Amino acid sequence: MAVAALYYAATVRIPVSTLGGEVGPHVFPTVLALLLGIAGVSMALRALFARRPIAVKASDEPASEATPLRAFGLLGIGALYIPFALLFGYVPALFLLIASIALYEGATPSWRMAVIAVAGALLFWLLFVALLGVGQPQSILL
Amino acid sequence: MIELLQAFTLLTTTPLIAVALLGLIWGILGGALPGISPSISMALLLPFTYTLDPMLAIVLLATAYIGAEYGGSIPAILIRTPGTNAAAATVLDGYEMRRRGRAGEALGISLWSGVVGGLVGLAMLILLTEPLSRLALAFRPMSYFALGLLGLSVIASLSGKSLLKGAAAAILGLMVATVGTDPNSGVGRFTFGSPELLDGIAPIFVMVGLFAVSELMTRSGVAVSAMGKQEPFRVRLPSFGLMKRLKRAQFIGALIGTFEGLMPGAGGSIASFLSYNEAKRWSKRKEEFGEGSPEGIAAPETSNNTVASTALIPLLSFGIPGSNSAAILLGGLLIHGLLPGPRLFEENGDIIIGLYTGSFVAVMSLLVVGILVLPVCIWLVNRPRPYLSGFIFALVLSGIYTVHATLFDVGIVLVAGLAGYLMRFFGFPFLPAVLGVVLGELIESNYRRSLDLSGGEHAIFLEDPIAVGLMSVAVLFVVGSLLREGREAMRARKGVSP
Repeated sequence: MAVAALYYAATVRIPVSTLGGEVGPHVFPTVLALLLGIAGVSMALRALFARRPIAVKASDEPASEATPLRAFGLLGIGALYIPFALLFGYVPALFLLIASIALYEGATPSWRMAVIAVAGALLFWLLFVALLGVGQPQSILL
Repeated sequence: MIELLQAFTLLTTTPLIAVALLGLIWGILGGALPGISPSISMALLLPFTYTLDPMLAIVLLATAYIGAEYGGSIPAILIRTPGTNAAAATVLDGYEMRRRGRAGEALGISLWSGVVGGLVGLAMLILLTEPLSRLALAFRPMSYFALGLLGLSVIASLSGKSLLKGAAAAILGLMVATVGTDPNSGVGRFTFGSPELLDGIAPIFVMVGLFAVSELMTRSGVAVSAMGKQEPFRVRLPSFGLMKRLKRAQFIGALIGTFEGLMPGAGGSIASFLSYNEAKRWSKRKEEFGEGSPEGIAAPETSNNTVASTALIPLLSFGIPGSNSAAILLGGLLIHGLLPGPRLFEENGDIIIGLYTGSFVAVMSLLVVGILVLPVCIWLVNRPRPYLSGFIFALVLSGIYTVHATLFDVGIVLVAGLAGYLMRFFGFPFLPAVLGVVLGELIESNYRRSLDLSGGEHAIFLEDPIAVGLMSVAVLFVVGSLLREGREAMRARKGVSP
């Protein structure tokens, strides 16, 4: 319901265009906001009036096996890739990403681990930059 | 007969086989890398085609397309990351089989289904180009809108145990699809002043975030012993018995793939989801779907590999590129001064025969290339998990960056990963959301175009027989699923009553 309300608030800001035709650019988003609102209310009512507690798992997706904090920690390491790639460039940032995730997931700090992370970063550079010829982030310091 | 002789001559007097193999391997590599879509794989080859003979240039591009459509299934099965949009439906049962130590079998099924789909698509391309291209022309905006609704109706059976949560997830997906420049009016929507969002949010970002990043988060810190069985690094092609079992799912996939390939804009993603849904509906072992069903891999893989060939029908017949990949192929034709259309078949028959022959070589070579390459992939995903997680994250972030060359997209994928983790936590299914993102633009733009044509009269949807037919099927799907959910709820209630 909160997402529906926020989305609706953003929908109101869509500018009106004379090129919009019979159905303007805001109509479809407005309908979606309403539908999500209805779905949210239905879910809330269903939970409220359920005779017995409804099981949380209604999805075919396997439930999380990691604690939320641990999972968010991993995402945080992934997010650090963005400033590191901007600062140091592709290969160093990738080395840091592989090494820090390996450590976070239980690898023992060692020369072997460092070599694997360096080899991994170089391998991806070879694959994407040298072989496929597609660009990767470059350091703003260089 | 003359055509067969021409094909044989091409095979023996030109480097056609080598070019087809090169295109295939390049395509598989591109398709297997998340973010490198089939069209990007082909676009990267385009500069090399300038100096090639026109026939070889077209074969190189077409076989890269075939390889990329197949390649998308490899990461979908092994690391829960669809390499292409069309491979999203393969994730469901493919990754589940891999988790249960059956990666070799899952890859074998996808390989075999890729070959079946490729051959069916090629047969349709060679034999039925003319009648099928007429069918493609019969589709109007109303039909496309109805096709989108039909695709969306699949959420009824992809929603797991709660249709309501599935519907909410699909609406969230549709909301994501509205971000960016409105295709009809050019107005920016939900961009919040960010130029990076003007292009919208590509479906692959949502898929990679929901599936791959959330999977890494979910498994973070889990003991290796709890991660599923290790297995031999061997690809197991389906046994004769399994092939017989897969026939129905492959037939469904090929049929839907043929139909969807013809529709410009529909593409392999809708075909894969619809095929998965129909294979489940008609399967004798419905309960296995989502738990590692071989048919759950066979149907979408046959379907999207059929699309790789049938998508060429509107391109070659009328010059209508139905997808980005077809547009790149059109570019390849134009570079060499070849204009698609009926005259292409009359004046450049050798190029068409070369295209068919090269595609046939590529499809048949899939088996050999797959058997050689896939064991390495299985070996890679069986490395110690701490390193594997790091490498998967690195692959995902590198691949995503290549789409628009901006770290902003990396941020979108991480946000999608967080959303996926939360959806999983609260029991929302992913596939309806993915379907919403994929179908949003198709549904909205064609709905609006239809109303522009009719001057705002909704009756136009009832005047189009194709639209009426497709919408009727969609309604049947939804009603059937609602009845099934109601029946199951009643049964569960009776079960717990004293």
